[in-house]
Amino acid sequence: MFDQRAELFNGLSAQQHDEILDLGALMALPSGSVLFDLGARAEHLYVVLRGRIRLTLPMQIRGRDEDVLVEESGPGETIGWSALIPPCRYTLKATAPLETEVLALPREALRSYFAANPATGAAVTQNVATLIGRRLQLFQAMWLREMQRMVELRCA
Amino acid sequence: MEMFLMAVCISLFGLAVTAAAFGAATQREQMQEDALPERETAAKVVPAHFFAEDIVVPAQPMPKVPIEALLLQIDSHVRLEHAAAESFLQYPTTALLHSRTCSPLVH
Repeated sequence: MFDQRAELFNGLSAQQHDEILDLGALMALPSGSVLFDLGARAEHLYVVLRGRIRLTLPMQIRGRDEDVLVEESGPGETIGWSALIPPCRYTLKATAPLETEVLALPREALRSYFAANPATGAAVTQNVATLIGRRLQLFQAMWLREMQRMVELRCA
Repeated sequence: MEMFLMAVCISLFGLAVTAAAFGAATQREQMQEDALPERETAAKVVPAHFFAEDIVVPAQPMPKVPIEALLLQIDSHVRLEHAAAESFLQYPTTALLHSRTCSPLVH
């Protein structure tokens, strides 16, 4: 049922993996539903099992707020890691553009489990740090590409 | 005597013709003066400076792309930029960092 290759569970034993799965609950999202809103309290960390999740931010287009795609996540990818990082508020809006299934891991249950199992906590935290670092590098590159274009336009 | 009278008549006729011509000429000038303020107003709107700094370009109506189409273009742009950034992270080189995409928003 569950994809063992999920990035959040890299380096975990089968037992550690199963123990974390037991903390979570499966959520089926109909097409077009909102998983979480920008600025909402981040109570869950999610792993996409099936389908897609669109992560968006609002942008003013012709005087209207429109949700603009920032990133899209598919099976095996983790979203909502703001649940583990203070101030525990989602920094993006997440919606399902098609029927999607996610594993929802409650923040408090994870914290309690990590406190009781520090080795697993360290491994998962390491995986979350890798995700955050990856996203930072990705957006640094995207930002620099946009800067380059702006400089070219200015100097043209 | 007859010769003298003829000369006087011709002189008077010449004088009348000259006066008529002068009247016509001054009337045309007056009409041109009446029309001048309009031209000056036009000149004020667009000052005739060769190296003019304050050029006011009238706003051209931009062709409006429907918002839905624009959002799709942004979606496509973000995906392409994401892919380009991923490529750069796999093999970090200057060329890959600035590689071009076929995004409609940058052409």
